[in-house]
Amino acid sequence: MRVSDLIKSSRATLKHGKMRSLLTMLGIVIGISSVIILMSIGASAQDYILGQVQGLGSNLIIILPGGTNNGKFSSPAAAQGIIVTSLKQQDVDALGRDPSVAAVTEESRGQATAAFGDNSMVTTFDGVPANFFTVRNFAVQNGYPFTDADVQAYNHVAVIGSSLADTLFGAGSDPVGQYIQVKNIQFRVVGVLAKKGTGAFGIDQDNLVLVPITVAQKQMLGVDYFTDVMVQANDSYNIDFVKARVQNILEQDHNITDPNKDDFTIETQQDVLSLLGNITNILTLFLAAIASISLIVGGIGIMNIMLVSVIERTKEIGLRKSVGATNNDILQQFLVESVMLTFIGGIIGIALGGVVVGLAWLVITKVFAVAWTFEFPLTAILLAVAVSSVTGIAFGIYPARQAARKSPIEALRYE
Amino acid sequence: MIEVKDLKKDYTDEGEVTSALRGVSFTINKGDFVSIMGPSGSGKSTLVQILSFLDRSTGGSYEFNGKKIDDLSDVELARIRNKSIGFVFQSFNLLTRLTVYENVELPLVYSDVPVSGRKKLIEDAVHSVGLDEKLYVETAKLSGGQKQRIAIARALVNDPDIIFADEPTGNLDSVSGAQVMSILDGLNHSGRTVILVTHETNTAEFADRIIRLRDGMVESDEKVKNPRHSKDEFFK
Repeated sequence: MRVSDLIKSSRATLKHGKMRSLLTMLGIVIGISSVIILMSIGASAQDYILGQVQGLGSNLIIILPGGTNNGKFSSPAAAQGIIVTSLKQQDVDALGRDPSVAAVTEESRGQATAAFGDNSMVTTFDGVPANFFTVRNFAVQNGYPFTDADVQAYNHVAVIGSSLADTLFGAGSDPVGQYIQVKNIQFRVVGVLAKKGTGAFGIDQDNLVLVPITVAQKQMLGVDYFTDVMVQANDSYNIDFVKARVQNILEQDHNITDPNKDDFTIETQQDVLSLLGNITNILTLFLAAIASISLIVGGIGIMNIMLVSVIERTKEIGLRKSVGATNNDILQQFLVESVMLTFIGGIIGIALGGVVVGLAWLVITKVFAVAWTFEFPLTAILLAVAVSSVTGIAFGIYPARQAARKSPIEALRYE
Repeated sequence: MIEVKDLKKDYTDEGEVTSALRGVSFTINKGDFVSIMGPSGSGKSTLVQILSFLDRSTGGSYEFNGKKIDDLSDVELARIRNKSIGFVFQSFNLLTRLTVYENVELPLVYSDVPVSGRKKLIEDAVHSVGLDEKLYVETAKLSGGQKQRIAIARALVNDPDIIFADEPTGNLDSVSGAQVMSILDGLNHSGRTVILVTHETNTAEFADRIIRLRDGMVESDEKVKNPRHSKDEFFK
């Protein structure tokens, strides 16, 4: 039997029972669209998360205090909320002297209430040096960032996040030049950050008070260690080489001879991106796998209907065999019908998924004003087409074999 | 063309053996018009199913055009069914969701005839049963007599050597029945072998020869002295 005859015959059969065909397809439509939606939204979420990490700056090496106990899967002590005091000014100075390092920026963070008049908000204050703004891509949209001179002179100046500015001063007002109070210190607001969203370490970068590191350490926290240090690698050097240099410098500085006993953890931006990429990929696949359960349900629906169809068309099978159809011809005919059902269901599912993903993108970007990308990955589409076709074969093969095995005499006698 | 010797067919159901054919022998030559008659349970349907390769015997031998059927695979038998045999059933067995054209096309779908060569064959077959104007009508909308004529057109479309007609007039009124027999008669006159299964003597006498079965055996195998022949010019 020719392929054109198979397709023509299957199309005629499916068209004859339009409502039945549509209802049978529904399971596949829902399954495929769910997979498409989850994979697309997963890809967008991945883009968003990775974008946040890339937003830290470029060519960065992140140093956190505390080791990982040499366990590959344990997180650094600092990330677990344990206060570790191993990163200090001498480390920053030593790193800054190395030719492979373009810049070093450090942070000492704390929580406090920021207040202006009657308005107040719990916020993160972050003591940073002047180069922090350029190394970490923190753009000041209104006013200016504080300078080295401000840091050296312990000036009470602050650059604040846009949400905090809106909360304390009211949306649309200009806070530059105004004074806010944080930890009983009056800070003159010299700049407002451009909107940036939640960044690394889960800190809302729009609800942030950036102050000179000297002020944060000596007058607000009373500490001499850093929460983290970031190194910007010199472009002329390979990032892994710089990572090794940083490790070497810090080990020398901390008198550590056994790398397993490092009291710091070094991650490159690429490490973090790769880790997050893996996590989001696994999460997306996991969600898609859950959605694919509905595909199995849809497939069982198809098998059920095809079995009914085989019984209903017993006489037709007998007739076809009497005019020369072989078992293989009958098998192919029923198989093509089920594959056609799932294939068309898959195409409708892809279109429906595209519409839902588009609507989600509209709502997220327009209503929630989040920088969300529209992702409709080709892999998801190809996967959907492949899975729907395989579902058709997998769930169509049994009814098709039942049809093919029918004796022509029994089939012709069937009433 | 057809030579059967001591043909047997046993059915086994839960260990109990029933013999439908108990040693049937005869020869049918090319161009013969043979009626097979017999009461219910005489084995005539079983015999025709074996002769038309829809079933296999459990004993004896069957040669078709000099080939031993037992030596052929199911696929080879399907090919012979497609090329050399046309079926006309009592209950028409048309696919009612399809048009006349699509029903008549069915044997060609399983043949070597390319799609481009089918239209002419289908039109000729439908013309030969006088239903040209119904070519694109759904078969569900045809009368019983028209349906059987379309079934004959389907049987003819592959230009088979032999036509098996199993009670072809059983579901028809006398006028339609006469038309159908007239067509079968004409087909025989054009050189095709026709094997007719019927329990009606009047219908059986269109043949040149009647094989009567009883209890799975040939009771008689006689020539018809004055075969009835359709005088009308229905078949062209």
